[in-house]
Amino acid sequence: MLKNYLKIAIRNLTRNKVFSLINIAGLSLGLTCCMLIVLYTKDQVSFDQFQKHKNALYRIQVTMPEDKGTRTIGSSNAVHGPGFKQEIPEIQDVVRAQSSSFVVKKGNELLNEDILFADDNFFSVFSMPLQYGDPKKVLTDIHSIVLSEELAEKYFNTKDAVGKTMELKIEDAFESFVVSGVAKNCPQNSSVQFKAVLPFKFQEARNWTDSEWLGFYMNTFLLLHDKADYQVVATKMNRIFTRKLNEAGKFDDHAKHITFGLQPFLKIHMDNETGDLRNGLGYGSSPIYSYILSGIAIFILIIACINFVNLTVARSLSRAKEIGVRKVVGGLRKQLIYQFLGESFLLSVVAFGLAIILTLMTLPTFNELANKQLSLSYLLDTKLVAGYLSLLLATGLIAGFYPAIILSGFSPVQTLYNRTRFSNKNYLTKGLVVFQFALSVCLVIGTIIVYSQFKYLTSKDLGYNDENLVSFSVGRGGSSKLDVIRQELENMAGIRTVAAFNGNYNGTGAKIGEKEISFGYIGVDDQFLKTLQIPVLKGRNFSKTYPSDPVQSVVVNEAFVKEAGWTDPIGKEVNFEWKKQKLHVIGVIRDYHYASLKDTIKPLLLTQDPSYALGAIYAKLDSKDIPATMKAIENLFRKHIPFMPFEYKFEDVANLNRYESEAKWREMITLAAILSIFVSCIGLFGLATFNAETRIKEIGIRKVLGASVTGIAALLSLDFVKLVISSIVIALPISYFASNIWLQDFPYRISISWIYFASAAILAMTVAILTIAYQSIRSAMMSPVESLKRE
Amino acid sequence: MIKITNLHKIFSTEEVETTALNGIDMDVKDGEFVAIMGPSGCGKSTLLNILGLLDNPSEGSYEFYGTEVAKMSERQRAQIRKGNIGFVFQSFNLIDELTVYENVELPLLYLKTPPAERKEKVEAALARMNMMHRRNHFPQQLSGGQQQRTAIARAVVATPKTILADEPTGNLDSKNGEEVMNLLSQLNAAGTTILMVTHSPYDAGFAHRIVNLFDGKIVTEKVHI
Repeated sequence: MLKNYLKIAIRNLTRNKVFSLINIAGLSLGLTCCMLIVLYTKDQVSFDQFQKHKNALYRIQVTMPEDKGTRTIGSSNAVHGPGFKQEIPEIQDVVRAQSSSFVVKKGNELLNEDILFADDNFFSVFSMPLQYGDPKKVLTDIHSIVLSEELAEKYFNTKDAVGKTMELKIEDAFESFVVSGVAKNCPQNSSVQFKAVLPFKFQEARNWTDSEWLGFYMNTFLLLHDKADYQVVATKMNRIFTRKLNEAGKFDDHAKHITFGLQPFLKIHMDNETGDLRNGLGYGSSPIYSYILSGIAIFILIIACINFVNLTVARSLSRAKEIGVRKVVGGLRKQLIYQFLGESFLLSVVAFGLAIILTLMTLPTFNELANKQLSLSYLLDTKLVAGYLSLLLATGLIAGFYPAIILSGFSPVQTLYNRTRFSNKNYLTKGLVVFQFALSVCLVIGTIIVYSQFKYLTSKDLGYNDENLVSFSVGRGGSSKLDVIRQELENMAGIRTVAAFNGNYNGTGAKIGEKEISFGYIGVDDQFLKTLQIPVLKGRNFSKTYPSDPVQSVVVNEAFVKEAGWTDPIGKEVNFEWKKQKLHVIGVIRDYHYASLKDTIKPLLLTQDPSYALGAIYAKLDSKDIPATMKAIENLFRKHIPFMPFEYKFEDVANLNRYESEAKWREMITLAAILSIFVSCIGLFGLATFNAETRIKEIGIRKVLGASVTGIAALLSLDFVKLVISSIVIALPISYFASNIWLQDFPYRISISWIYFASAAILAMTVAILTIAYQSIRSAMMSPVESLKRE
Repeated sequence: MIKITNLHKIFSTEEVETTALNGIDMDVKDGEFVAIMGPSGCGKSTLLNILGLLDNPSEGSYEFYGTEVAKMSERQRAQIRKGNIGFVFQSFNLIDELTVYENVELPLLYLKTPPAERKEKVEAALARMNMMHRRNHFPQQLSGGQQQRTAIARAVVATPKTILADEPTGNLDSKNGEEVMNLLSQLNAAGTTILMVTHSPYDAGFAHRIVNLFDGKIVTEKVHI
């Protein structure tokens, strides 16, 4: 009997090519999306699970007050870990980790590498296996270095690089480090990520570490004893912190509100609030992406299952005779249900096979989209295979169950005498089509909104001109060559203006009268505003004609003036109590977006304070022949700073990169919209084909009675157009609310316009009409003789 | 073997109620060949469907080999139908996706006949209907007569006691019609009870007894000697 079912199923599949193709294409697309998501979820679930001490490992966390509420960070500093371990017996081990960028020699080449400083127990606490070297000894010598296989290959063309020497630039000279071990490349499902590790002791020997209890800039991991309660440990940590600050006389209002906590190691990967994935940590993931990707995949699969249900039910009339015959010769309803479920499973199996191929083909693109390095080897995992098989069973059942119940219920008398007719009402099919299209319209509106917001973010006036603005570092903490480089650049063809600044925007606080305010600051020269084209609204810019500017003056932005509550800011005092320095405002500049547009413009202070040494340069280039100008700048750089790699960035590109996550949103939702529209439309095409076939006699009669081709095509399309209109009406309010929620996170956002909705509606309608039109026109153009004969 | 008493069948829709059979009494003996005749809409096919256990009567009694079947569920009727009744339709009703052989094999599959026996029976039925040479053809590749011969092969393959034929020659030319009627007569001669609905007096001439229906009632009965 099984053989008989299989034969019928295969012959049906091959005879009804359009229907089979629609079902297989839709289901395989839906299944591919789900397979990728299962892979993604498996990756998320497996993250960091390979760590031997995963349940006893914690990272020190600090919660501190902010302007509004509090902020939790994952950073601490060098004294915290050892300080706590000394007094808290539950702490078995402490590992500190801090990244730093170094210039490394490779033959005559100079390359920048991010290297991690870590305590010598790093490789025994973390399960990061060594290919070569003893985990307990590799970091004991302060001039030792552990390389990843990747770096060993890069510098020595072999994985076995133990005993070889690497030259790293330490302050102004190169020092030799001996490779003491080679670690396997960090797995992609590991939060701990490094390419090379240097002993933390090296930093301590050079006095680079900070013994200040009020400082937070590196990772400290604690390995607790088996039975330790980490919350009790955190309480003890806070007690020690309070005592230490009291002893140092620094337990002020701000410090009183700082609390220490412990973040379980396994939570680091998905803990978006703490974030702080640096200093040896990487690959954070936002759970929101998991939800969105899963949602999209399930939507597409549901749409494909809806196609299957609709088309199978629609086609059931053509199967009616077979059902009747089977019943007449003794087939039971149960057997027919099994038969039809079997057919849906067979179709699912074909789609499943195709989906596996599609998954393999699309994995690289998906990895890029989901910011993952999912590997094909996952496909061999038993749990994953079990997951996929459940997916197959679920798909077969969801798609096949309803049609099986309907088809097996046909009465043999009705079917064998061709009396089976479908009610034109058929609410389920109509409801499912509306649901499909509503979903697709929501996604199309989402795509338009995300595109518009992205365009807004990347094209909004930033308050300064980032076009052809290039920046590069000439040395951390300043360089004696800065002035000569700046001077030569100013005279170089292709460069309009040059400015120096201290490299980064940092945060600090100061007193304005009695009020303490927080703000960003940056060290600049007198050309900074001119180069970035930032207008001075009040007062003046820094100037060489005022030699006291570096020690007396600051320039602030409008947000600073507002925060300080000044009406006439020029001449007002900014009191840096902590460094006993009082500066006066000489100018107010227009607010500009020095950070991402995802943040509001915060108060900003520009200073020429010599303690913020100028170590970076901005050059505004002419738009013609930029490559030649860049080459000239590089030559100049190499002439003056031969021991550093020349690394530069164009400010407009860097600004664009700030919206990487929005760009991902854009890609994801576009893909989802295209897929859902596509799968919905092939379903609609199938239904339109069926509709035209079943109304062939009606078409013939109407033509005989004088109906035109256009009239008949319109008649055939009208029912579907009504359904699409209903889905648009349902989708509009839903997508309006969803878009509003998404946009709330952006302080600078587009206002939702009716045009977005109208364009989505027109697009959905056009695509639907084009889909239906082919079948409708084809049927309408058929000769009435032919139509009547066929019936 | 078949005894129906005061059989009624009423079809109801939201708007109309139609009486298709209105108090039919009839006995059919084992090995008998009965033709049911009457104008269109007189209830012939409805009667045949009830006799074939494809449908239930609205009222009345139906004894099939001593078992009262009038109130049985579809599932119970299917169990009795299986192997006991064979059907031949005007429009052949072969499954387009199955070959001649597979169509004939179908009743045996539902009877769970072992493969070797199945093969033997199917081949015997096909040989009897002179269809062996077309065993691997699909219905669309056959003439009307060949299709009906296949349908008869399917009806007899499980050696049922009774064959119900609903206008078996209605879609055939006279030559093929004659051939089909001869086949049915041979089956009857071999002991199979045949109940046939027909419009054709010629075909009815093959039967032992002709029952005439009008407006859901038996109006005349004629026995061939």
